[in-house]
Amino acid sequence: MTTVLAPVAGAAIGLAAVPDPVFSQAMVGPGTAIDPLRQPVEALAPIDGTIVKLHPHAYVVVGDDGRGVLVHLGIDTVQLKGEGFRLLAAEGDRVSAGQPVVAWDPATVEAGGRSPVCPVVALDAVAGSVGEIAEGGVAAGDPLFEWS
Amino acid sequence: MAERTVSVASEVGLHARPAATFVQTAAKVPFDVTIAKAGGSPVSAKSILSVLALDVRQGESIVISAEGEGAEELLDELAQIASAS
Repeated sequence: MTTVLAPVAGAAIGLAAVPDPVFSQAMVGPGTAIDPLRQPVEALAPIDGTIVKLHPHAYVVVGDDGRGVLVHLGIDTVQLKGEGFRLLAAEGDRVSAGQPVVAWDPATVEAGGRSPVCPVVALDAVAGSVGEIAEGGVAAGDPLFEWS
Repeated sequence: MAERTVSVASEVGLHARPAATFVQTAAKVPFDVTIAKAGGSPVSAKSILSVLALDVRQGESIVISAEGEGAEELLDELAQIASAS
């Protein structure tokens, strides 16, 4: 059982509400999404593990059991090419759940015409293995869902 | 063993939409399908984690391999996804 933490504060809205079919149709995997508070924040590691991939706009943390969780900061934010994002960790770093990984401002992303919604996805998760998904307001570091 | 070498054309590389489509397509078949960067170690093409971690950028070449009934058709399909811009 892996408890996945909310990387940012906001409202847990479910993947179906993400304005990108890759996430809303759970093509990447199951999980949920957070509509973040519009304030400068430090996005956190969702689980204990190693940062196997770190982009300014997205990162993947893999736990010792091999399970990977993707955090995507906003939609289509790859197009920003890192502008407005500041890395607080490095690829290959070991992190604890709740440790800051990327500093960014959802309000800036939104002002640029993009959705700041953050999908949090259990990669390669077996169907039905994600549950206890939080709904509504969450603080950064709160339990977001359970991966059994 | 059937094999294709293709250059990834998507501006974002093999991430997000192309990666998800690629993995979903590979996952349809019962046999193993692997993806590697040219000269690199192969990983499962059915794992979104493995494909995202491989971090293939635009213009990089990948080698996709499979062995089984329908492998040629599958690799054609995967090559088309990877080479689509």
